[in-house]
Amino acid sequence: MQHVANLTGERSGAAKAAVEVRGLSHVYAGRDGAVPALENIELKVPAGRFIVIVGPSGCGKTSLLMMLAGLRAPSAGTILCDGRPISQPDPTRVGVVFQEASLYPWLTAVENVEFPLVLKHAPRAERRERAGAMLNLVGLDGFGSRYPHELSGGMKQRVSIARGLVQDPPVLLMDEPFAALDEQTRMTMGHELLSIWSQTSKTVVFITHSLTEAVYLADEVVVMSARPGRILDRITVDLPRPRTYQMMATDVFGALRERIWLQIRTTP
Amino acid sequence: MTGMTRPSPRTVRRLIGVLILVLWEAIPRLGILPELFIPPLTKTLHVLWLDRAIYAAALLVTVYEVAIAMLIACGAGILIGSIVGGVAGVRRLMLPVFSSLYAVPIVILYPVFTAWFGIGSESKIVFAGVYGFFPVMLSTAAGIRTIDEQYLLAARSMGASLPQLITRVVIPASIPTVLSGLRLGGALTIIGVVVSEMLTSANGIGYLVTKNRTTLDSPRVFAAIIVILALSVVYDIAVRAIERRTLVWQAAGRRDAGERGAVLSAQAAA
Repeated sequence: MQHVANLTGERSGAAKAAVEVRGLSHVYAGRDGAVPALENIELKVPAGRFIVIVGPSGCGKTSLLMMLAGLRAPSAGTILCDGRPISQPDPTRVGVVFQEASLYPWLTAVENVEFPLVLKHAPRAERRERAGAMLNLVGLDGFGSRYPHELSGGMKQRVSIARGLVQDPPVLLMDEPFAALDEQTRMTMGHELLSIWSQTSKTVVFITHSLTEAVYLADEVVVMSARPGRILDRITVDLPRPRTYQMMATDVFGALRERIWLQIRTTP
Repeated sequence: MTGMTRPSPRTVRRLIGVLILVLWEAIPRLGILPELFIPPLTKTLHVLWLDRAIYAAALLVTVYEVAIAMLIACGAGILIGSIVGGVAGVRRLMLPVFSSLYAVPIVILYPVFTAWFGIGSESKIVFAGVYGFFPVMLSTAAGIRTIDEQYLLAARSMGASLPQLITRVVIPASIPTVLSGLRLGGALTIIGVVVSEMLTSANGIGYLVTKNRTTLDSPRVFAAIIVILALSVVYDIAVRAIERRTLVWQAAGRRDAGERGAVLSAQAAA
């Protein structure tokens, strides 16, 4: 059983789990009775790791992410973040970046980024400073006063990332953040994300449909089965960092991609 | 006709306006239509000037009634609309009822209102308030119901409490749709007040229309009509100014507002 996760202490013996999922199952009430969505998920994500979850549509990836974010409660099991259970959203521990630009159109870029701080009643000066620093980090210096409709798709997702990071949470959850972008922008954004990640040493849990994106970004790819979602495989991607576009053409990259594809494909 | 620039729609609109004013003066003067049907523009303006004290006093009454009726329509509309839009149970129960009530010609209730509230300002205010209430209520409900789920989810992930969700997300997100309802509802309260003044009244601009019509004093009827037109034009300009001010971010988001508007009209039609 590959998913009895003991790949944990790989980086350093002291690395503790930033995110730990124990015996998580979820059943929701469908039209024809109870539908099992997730089954016995065990997952340990060491601090500072970049984990990518892939799986067929409807495998419960997004449900799992919602639970990691504290937005939905699982039917059974526990989720620990930084050693403490997550029972409700806590943006100081877990930042979330959603699939589509969930930016507020009535706020400017900088106001969107400082939104979580506004909710916490942080003083204005501190908010502006933090938000400005985050926009700087994602390469949007000087775009703070733009409204979302004045930004491109890629820029909007940069703002979303800045918003997710503004409270400096150790964990960043990303639900297909680049799915709505065109291929070129998507690759650029992936690369940018890795550069941000290397500067911030966050633990990232990233969901995607794109196998190329998965292999390119991940330290480890978690492959999930179709409903009910179970962990089929955990694949360590030992390509060196920083990753380069050239790596995509290598045999190692192709083999990893192939291995994931076979798992997903053979799952009915 | 190369080389000639097309006049802008704005210029064309102005020209049409001028043309109407010219025809208004010319048609009765040339005897094409009797002055009883259309008194010349200058004559109408002249009596308006002569009776300016009467018209001003009547306008004041009308504006007062419209203002109170708008307060009622907007206040109650937004309040009940939020409940209907925000609480699924209430929505399922009430929305079909409200939507069909919207189609009822509420003017038939006006005699009832005069029996209850007399023929003074109160009955006009209540009638116009009820008249303007429905579009405000329905658009508020639609505005809240059609808020992008993602906005709420994102706010919750950032730790928003329920009051924060309402003030920071629900209200700003529904403002465009609510404003379109306020615009329509406000216009309806003006109609409601004027119509009720025309039906049974002893005061207001609508009363001047009816009174002067019964004495076949066309210039004074048209003078009253001009005042009402002016009132609605001023109202429209004011609302547009508010909309422009509030919706800076909507400059490119018109598509969204359009979709919500469509939801609203579909609902009104249902």
